[in-house]
Amino acid sequence: MTRTTYRWAALFLVLPLAVYIAIVVFPLLSSFYYSLTDWNGFAIDYNFVGLENFEKMFSDRLFSNAIGNTLIWTVAAIIVPTGGGLALALVLHERGVFANLYKSLFYLPISLALAVIGQIWLWIYQPDWGLINASLRTIGLGDLTQAWLAKPQFALLAVILAWSWQQTALSMVIFLAGLTAIPQELIEAAHIDGANYFQRVRRVIVPLLAPASVVVIALAVINSLKSFDVLYVMTRGGPFHSSDNLAMFMYNESFQKYNMGYGSAIAVVLFLITLAVIIVYFRQSAQVERLYD
Amino acid sequence: MTNTIVHDDRRAAASLASDRAQPSRAPMIIFYALLTIIVVMYSAPSIGVLLASLKSTAEIAEVGVWAMPRSFALTNYAEAWSGGNAGIYIRNSFFVTVPATVISISLGVLAGYTLSKLKFRGSNALFIFFVAGLFFPPQIALIPLFRLFNDLGLYDTLWSLIIIHVAFGIPICTLILKNFFAAVPTAIREAAIIDGANEWQILTKLMLPLSLPALAVLTTLQFTWIWNDFLWPVILIRSDEMRTVMVGLASLKGQYSVAYGVQSAMAVYASIPTLLVFVFFQRYFIRGLTFGSVKG
Repeated sequence: MTRTTYRWAALFLVLPLAVYIAIVVFPLLSSFYYSLTDWNGFAIDYNFVGLENFEKMFSDRLFSNAIGNTLIWTVAAIIVPTGGGLALALVLHERGVFANLYKSLFYLPISLALAVIGQIWLWIYQPDWGLINASLRTIGLGDLTQAWLAKPQFALLAVILAWSWQQTALSMVIFLAGLTAIPQELIEAAHIDGANYFQRVRRVIVPLLAPASVVVIALAVINSLKSFDVLYVMTRGGPFHSSDNLAMFMYNESFQKYNMGYGSAIAVVLFLITLAVIIVYFRQSAQVERLYD
Repeated sequence: MTNTIVHDDRRAAASLASDRAQPSRAPMIIFYALLTIIVVMYSAPSIGVLLASLKSTAEIAEVGVWAMPRSFALTNYAEAWSGGNAGIYIRNSFFVTVPATVISISLGVLAGYTLSKLKFRGSNALFIFFVAGLFFPPQIALIPLFRLFNDLGLYDTLWSLIIIHVAFGIPICTLILKNFFAAVPTAIREAAIIDGANEWQILTKLMLPLSLPALAVLTTLQFTWIWNDFLWPVILIRSDEMRTVMVGLASLKGQYSVAYGVQSAMAVYASIPTLLVFVFFQRYFIRGLTFGSVKG
């Protein structure tokens, strides 16, 4: 590598590096600093309060509520999009009559914004004429109709379902790509050995999809941790904070109540949780790669 | 050449095999029943919005969203455009999305090329440093950036959104382009150097034309993500005339709070650009989404 090449490398890197550090890395680190202050978002002065914001979390029931809901969302993110996406991919991979048409249909939610999806699902849950209640009445189960988003016991699950609608489609795309990469000879061999369809799926296809599954689950979990748009549009964390997740709680504390110090501390917790997930993800994918190489 | 033949052989074998490896009849029936349910689940929401957008508020109150509209009037679309400011919101979204897409990809080209073809000590570490930004929740940078743009006087301007999407796009653009350039034979670059080209000429005259597929993948991904972004304009935009279309949709208030038809029309407007990108560049979009998830 010559001196001029070094110069070119430096020249090419200076702009991307400067923008990335100034707008992504430095702010990320500053959040740790703000989490140790009582800044209110506007005042020039603020105090250094040490770990007070983090201590406050332990006694803040809204915080533990948000953590609990985030956990529920994460568990749902592991189960629903993974199971649903796998099922969809398996069905669509069999070259049925309308497979291509169906595929496009399932791709659609991926290009829709979560804000739009939230809006659409608001009407699905709408109490008077929403799709769910209207369907329940049609099949004679009118007693089960609910104001879904206004009930604390349903609101969070309703939002998670709307979110899963998109995430499942995304998982399906990744599983489909994984299925295409499986050598058909292996499946055929199992078939000849007398394995029925479900045995082939369980014993051959699913194990071979392990690399794709790791990606699907990691993506769903990371997306679930930062999910905000769909929640903001549908419930804003309500009713009575019943659907607050960490991202929503952080937004409310920081940009509604202007407790930016506390908000930063919540963001730091969210960051650390994500970091833990990412470490697990890289360990898993390294393990899977060793197994499959 | 041998490669192609082997490949074709495999494909033929694969298609033969899969013809025989169809599931038996009973699971097929279950399959199609399930498929139908899921197809309904996946098409109903979008169809509902389309139907609602063609009905007046009175008609929705009377027959609901899901019935066929009596007349296919476009009054809601006209109303959303003029009274609901859809025109302004969409213009703002384009003002943010187009430059942010182009600039983030350009920076990704610079970083990706350097980190794959002009390697130096520590360039791999630098690559990991760039890509790490892909994984973290944006919430961690929310408050410091809110403050930064306030201090710079860029709060409530589209500039703040452009800058943010450029910066937050660097990780994915660098990742995809670095991997793409790494697959381009180094001999091409060496030949050009012998012919007297400098790195800038190699990058712009040689590598860029070669990287069109990667650029297409990134353009579809970046355009869709930036257009659909909601969090940043919620945080950084205050006034109505600066709103992007996603925030505009979510904040249709006052006279439109129960005007479901107008809201639907706005949702359709907000989705048209990304749907068009998707329809025309589906191949690239899917390739980008599945990037890295499958080996080989």
